[in-house]
Amino acid sequence: MKIFFLIIAMALVTYFGRVLPVLFLGQKTNRPSVEKFLRLIPYSAMTALVFPGVLSVDKDFMAIGVVGAVTALALSWFNMSITFVVIGAIVVNMLMYAM
Amino acid sequence: MRKKEQYLLGVKTALPVILGILPVAVAFAVLSEHSGLTTLETILMSTLVFAGASQIMAVGMLLAGAGILPIVLATFILNFRHVIMGTCVMNRMLDTPMWKRAILCFGVTDESFAIFTTNEETNNTPYYFAGVISVTYSTWVLGTIAGCAASQFLPILVSRSLGIALFAMFIGLVIPNVRKNIELGVLVILTAFLNVIFNYFVPSSWAIIFATLVGAFLGIFFVKEAEEEEIQ
Repeated sequence: MKIFFLIIAMALVTYFGRVLPVLFLGQKTNRPSVEKFLRLIPYSAMTALVFPGVLSVDKDFMAIGVVGAVTALALSWFNMSITFVVIGAIVVNMLMYAM
Repeated sequence: MRKKEQYLLGVKTALPVILGILPVAVAFAVLSEHSGLTTLETILMSTLVFAGASQIMAVGMLLAGAGILPIVLATFILNFRHVIMGTCVMNRMLDTPMWKRAILCFGVTDESFAIFTTNEETNNTPYYFAGVISVTYSTWVLGTIAGCAASQFLPILVSRSLGIALFAMFIGLVIPNVRKNIELGVLVILTAFLNVIFNYFVPSSWAIIFATLVGAFLGIFFVKEAEEEEIQ
C-alpha cells in the first residue's frame, strides 16, 4: 500500500511539471530573442543531461562512461544513425566489462 | 500532410530511439525488483510516472530506506526540467486545444523532447508529437515488462553495459547539428562547463536546469542560425 501511494504521488508531481506550460503558455511570442532561446534549449538541455553525468555511469569504473561517450561522439560525427550510435556504445562497454 | 501521415511520420522518426529507451527500461525493472517492488508495482510506476531517471532514483532511495516524502520531493525536483522542455514543445503547438495539449504533455520526456525539437519545425504538429510519444511510451512500458521477465536471466555483463544507452542517444542527436553549426559546438562546451561549475553548488538535478537555461540564454548572443542569416 505504501508503494502504491508513492507511485501515485510521483505520478502527480511529475504530471504537474508537464502540465504547467500547457496552462500558462498563452500565445506565441513575437520576440525573436525568446524564440531563439527556446530553439537553443534542446541543445543546452541535452548537453547538461550528458555531461558530467556520463562520467558516473559506473561509479567504480569511470572509463566506462568516458569511452562509451567518446564512441558515441565518434560514430555520430560520421553521421551514423542513432541506432548505430547507441548499439556501438553498448557493445564497446560490453567488451570493456568482458576484458 | 494529413493527420494520419503526420502521426506515422512521428512514429517513424521515433523508431531509432527505441534503442535508447529500451535498455533504460530494462535497467529500471531489474533495479526495481532488486529493491523489493513487486512486478505489478514496477509496471504501474512506469505506466503512471513515465520518467526514467526519477523512477531509477526512487527505487534506489527505497533500497536505501528512504521515506515516501523525500522520494516524492526528489522526484519533483528531478522532473522539474519538464517545465522547460514542455515550454519548448508546447510553444510549437499553441493552436491546439488545451485539452489535447493536457493529454499530449504527459508524453514530454527527455527523449520525446529531443526528437521533436531537433526535427524541422514544419513537422512540429500535435499529430507528429502523438506519433513520437506513442513509440516512446509503449517502449517504456513494454521494456519495463520485459525487464521484469528477464531480471532473473539477464547476464550481469549485459545489464551493466546498458547504462550508456541514453547518453549515447543524446550525443547522437546533438552532434550532427554541431557539425553543421560551429557556434552550436561552442554552446555545447559552454553548457557542459557551466553544469560542472553548478554541480559544486547545487544538487545535480538543479545544476542541469540552471545550466540549460543559462547556456541557452548566452547562446542568444553568439549562435547564428541558418534561417536568421537568410532573413537578414
